[in-house]
Amino acid sequence: MITLEHYLALSAMIFTLGLCGVMMRRNVILVMMSIEIMLNAANLALVAFNRHLVPVAGAAVAPDGQVLVFFTIAVAAAEVAVALAIAMLLFRRLDTVSVDDVANLRW
Amino acid sequence: MHELAFYALAACMVLFTLLTIASRNPVYCAIFMILSFAATAGLFVLLGAFLLAAVEVLVYAGAIMVLFLFVIMLINLRTEEQEGLRLNPLAIVAAGTFLALVSRALKDLGPAVADAPNALEGSPGLIAETLFRRYVVPFEAVSMLLLAAILGTVVLARRQRGES
Repeated sequence: MITLEHYLALSAMIFTLGLCGVMMRRNVILVMMSIEIMLNAANLALVAFNRHLVPVAGAAVAPDGQVLVFFTIAVAAAEVAVALAIAMLLFRRLDTVSVDDVANLRW
Repeated sequence: MHELAFYALAACMVLFTLLTIASRNPVYCAIFMILSFAATAGLFVLLGAFLLAAVEVLVYAGAIMVLFLFVIMLINLRTEEQEGLRLNPLAIVAAGTFLALVSRALKDLGPAVADAPNALEGSPGLIAETLFRRYVVPFEAVSMLLLAAILGTVVLARRQRGES
């Protein structure tokens, strides 16, 4: 029997992999891919929670979690479009896509 | 049968995600990411979210991935810039902390969720009903956000006057 914990544990593992990707890769495109992986892990947790909610007596479970995943996917698409445009600009101006070369704002 | 499908998809997802963050060539990373998202779509089907599984494949594996591949090919990284994982002790600490917190949180999930799945199935009709009744204002907000993202991308990527 596959329980909610199974899905949440898988989601946590994927999220951790994405986190490691963000902190360990230097290529800005790979950093963005890792962010997408983290968003995807959160989506999986949302859908799993929605499927395992205890229904209130006499009412069907509303697909709120799935609608939220819809919004996440839309926001992720918008984010990727803008971020990739910035990456293109970075490459055109500075001829690099390494996050270490554009660390002026880092403390 | 359900267990078998879950474990197969979960193993695929972890493996492909690992390959995504560890591959040296960015094109391979993008391909492995498509496969990881395909496994996620399979898990969505197991969870009864049929419409979301289709959207996941269409938007992520279709649109977003084409965007990534386009930029990777436009940038055309030279081989010496293709680096793999850089071991970072901070990342290990962050990952360990996160996993510890989640495993503690998994111990008591509370009475609102149960181990047994409920009868919810995310058919297009049900999702549309919820999206366009209860969540119509957020839906419009997201459409404005997408419009803003399109305009922002065009403004950013346009060549400035005088630039070659």
